[in-house]
Amino acid sequence: MPCSLRQAVPTTRRETIALLGAMMASTISARAQQKATPVIGYLGSESPEAYASRLVAFAEGLAEAGYVDGRNVAIDFRWAEGEYSRLPALALALADRQVTVMVAPGGAEVALAARSATKTIPIVFEMGGDPVALGLVASLSRPGGNLTGVSSLSVEVSLKRLEFMSELFPAARTFAVAVNPASPTSASQSKNLQAAASSLRLELRLLTASSEPELEALFVAVSQMQLPGLVFTSDPYFAYRSRRLAELAERHKVPAITQARDFPNAGGLMSYGGDFQQSHRHTGIYAGRIIKGEKPSDLPVQRVTKVELFVNLKAAGQLGLTMPPSLLSSAEVVIE
Amino acid sequence: MTQAPPALRSSLFAKYFVALFAAVVIPLLVAGGSEAWFGHRDQRARLNDLLEAEARSAAAKIQDFLDGIRDQLAWTVQLPWSDSADERRRLDAFRLLRQVPAVVSLTLVDATGRERVFVSRMGLNKVESGADHPLSPALKNIRPGGAWYGPVSFHGGSEPFLTIAVAGTRSAVGVAVAEVNLKLIWDVISAIRVGRTGAAFVLDQPGRLIAHPDISLVLRADQTAIRPLQTLRAKIAAQSGKAASGRDIDGHMVLAAMAPIPGIDWSVVVKQPVAEAFEPIYAALWRTSAFLIIGSGLAAALAYWLTQRMIEPIRILEDGVARIGAGQFDHRIDIATGDEFERLATRFNAMAGDLAVSQERSQRIGRLKRFLAPQVAELVDHSGDDSVLDGRRIEVVVVFGDLRGFTAFSARAEPNVVMSFLNDYYDALDRVVIDHGATLTHFSGDGMMVLINAPVSRPDPALCAIRMARDMQKTVQSLLRDREPLDHRLGFGVGLALGPATVGRIGTEGRLEYTAVGSVVNLAARLCASARNAEVLIDMAAADAVDGRVPLIELDARVLKGFDKPVRVFAAGEATAS
Repeated sequence: MPCSLRQAVPTTRRETIALLGAMMASTISARAQQKATPVIGYLGSESPEAYASRLVAFAEGLAEAGYVDGRNVAIDFRWAEGEYSRLPALALALADRQVTVMVAPGGAEVALAARSATKTIPIVFEMGGDPVALGLVASLSRPGGNLTGVSSLSVEVSLKRLEFMSELFPAARTFAVAVNPASPTSASQSKNLQAAASSLRLELRLLTASSEPELEALFVAVSQMQLPGLVFTSDPYFAYRSRRLAELAERHKVPAITQARDFPNAGGLMSYGGDFQQSHRHTGIYAGRIIKGEKPSDLPVQRVTKVELFVNLKAAGQLGLTMPPSLLSSAEVVIE
Repeated sequence: MTQAPPALRSSLFAKYFVALFAAVVIPLLVAGGSEAWFGHRDQRARLNDLLEAEARSAAAKIQDFLDGIRDQLAWTVQLPWSDSADERRRLDAFRLLRQVPAVVSLTLVDATGRERVFVSRMGLNKVESGADHPLSPALKNIRPGGAWYGPVSFHGGSEPFLTIAVAGTRSAVGVAVAEVNLKLIWDVISAIRVGRTGAAFVLDQPGRLIAHPDISLVLRADQTAIRPLQTLRAKIAAQSGKAASGRDIDGHMVLAAMAPIPGIDWSVVVKQPVAEAFEPIYAALWRTSAFLIIGSGLAAALAYWLTQRMIEPIRILEDGVARIGAGQFDHRIDIATGDEFERLATRFNAMAGDLAVSQERSQRIGRLKRFLAPQVAELVDHSGDDSVLDGRRIEVVVVFGDLRGFTAFSARAEPNVVMSFLNDYYDALDRVVIDHGATLTHFSGDGMMVLINAPVSRPDPALCAIRMARDMQKTVQSLLRDREPLDHRLGFGVGLALGPATVGRIGTEGRLEYTAVGSVVNLAARLCASARNAEVLIDMAAADAVDGRVPLIELDARVLKGFDKPVRVFAAGEATAS
């Protein structure tokens, strides 16, 4: 009896201790994890309502990387409510909070505000323009600093919008272009559009708008100038006001094309731009991967693969327009 | 017997444990070990086949991706070109872009190598630009109906693009040239699962990463980061395409197999973590270890149980044997296990009974030895039976002998001299009695009584008695001669008689004597009393019995106390002479 006890008891005891140790370690690590629940600082240029569909896509991407808000990650939202001048202060507040990662979706303004706030906290941006040209990253494949993100290509394809408008009005030689002078990409977009116009032998009327009243005035001006179509440059300020733009276009009977599908969905004529669902989903994935410990400098800037043309035939009918087959066959979605 | 037994050099438990451990664990070890070994070999072979099949299937999927694009492009090169602008072809091009998301731009080139239609998702479309296509030398070499794949280029140093050109079946229909964004292979590659966590990736001929489930690895276009993947492919190539093992980017061991995509010189490699691939084997090993632990536990428990079953009876036996050994012959070992232990206990109990009987006998014999001649004692001892000492009536010769003048000597001499003399005297006589096989039944002071033919029967007891008597005389006389300086003035006389007497043990258990009762005893005693120094007196019965074999001299008949008539008396001749 004593012999067997002497052999059996220490083994079980040792096993028990090991088991207890493992359990304690797991509890401790679970507690440590709880204590250090990663926080995403989410910098939004508008209100949550305007961002709703983007937030869904972002949450999808985050979940794909294994994180769910409120469960194993907390998201601290800061909204500029359309006042882009507030963005730097909001970004600084997030940096002071020492968030794990800062997410700056919805355009170059947000990305630049985030970058000015911190040089150490990883930043994931989502924007339409070229981050290399804006000086946010050293190169697409090797971002280098504390920033990486997703480009939706919307800025690059501004000239295609002019081309589609000219396809709709093959005889017209002059088109109106809406520019937001406050946008960091306005200069480059204007230049690209001018170059495209000259190769298409077109003339452009550049109209500016960076506030609600100016938007209304812009549509009034286009209808007064009797220009056949209005081409919007890519800008989040325009994109997040697609519903308003659709209203104005309908009211002033102006055929217009913007970057966001929200515009034809709300009654506008056409849109051509990157798939923001894809770009926001990728933003979520990158945020998750950075929380997991990857360095932003190792994550190349992604460009969306999908640039989509939306056409609203109902709007075309109201405007008395017939869509040519070239547009219809190119359209990703035709709204009847 | 009663001292503590020596310390155990090894315990029953240890022996049983070793035996049971060997019985349980060694077969398990052999079975587990061989299962692991053969399982590993079989699993490896099976995995190789499986992985190679997975690689072929993955390659087929990538091939399907490329073939899908090629087939779509073939639609655009079916009709010959006219000289004027062709609106229908432009629409075809738009529809192709709409249909094939991976194509970012499409150029339709006529038979002369000039660009006729260019449509793009990003840049401005061009119709009838008339420029020579930069790739036209290569395009001319495409066989009719064939396809040509350009080298992979990384736009902005990041996104992989591939130029695919498809020629119509006749040279007049020209060539369709498409820029394909290879990022879209991700949908294909990320859907390929090998096992649970295994995956596939694609390398082009120079070893650049074309497709990987982690798209950021492709977009980094970092040759050093993907070195392990290139090494993996080199290893498989070194084994002439057979599956090989190597390290993944994260350093984990993986098994990998490869399949080429013909025509474009890409390699599709599938990999599966070794840990996952051999999981069944590891599981089997874990199972075996668990069984080993359980087996050891079982062996220990069984050994403990058996030992307990053994130790209790052994302890009872040990205790019982110790008690019996200590002389407690009435102790009985009580074991009712129904097995060999019970039988052993029964044997011990029987032995204890036998020991008790034999001890009783040896005690009795020991007591008898005190008054029996050694031969008699030995006889009784040998026969193990003292019935020879039982009372009976038998013809015996009774011999008496005593010293003359001893009372005066003992009064005169020092006590120690007297006692020393007596000791020598009895020692000498005792030897003579023993030599003649007689039985010294009694002595007191200077006299003694000796029996012949009882309890040990002797042939011709009279002759034996006379010879013994003469020897006694000789011995005592020489003893007396040796003691002459003491001036003892002692003599020694012997008388013997033959006749029936009752012999047997008399007395109590504590004080027991063997003696003879009858007139022959009286006669012998009287003859001894009337014998002079150095004389041996013999009665007529004894003299008749020897019948002249010993020279005897008849003396005058004597009147002896207790006898009515005078008794005829003979003297041993030689003794008289000396």
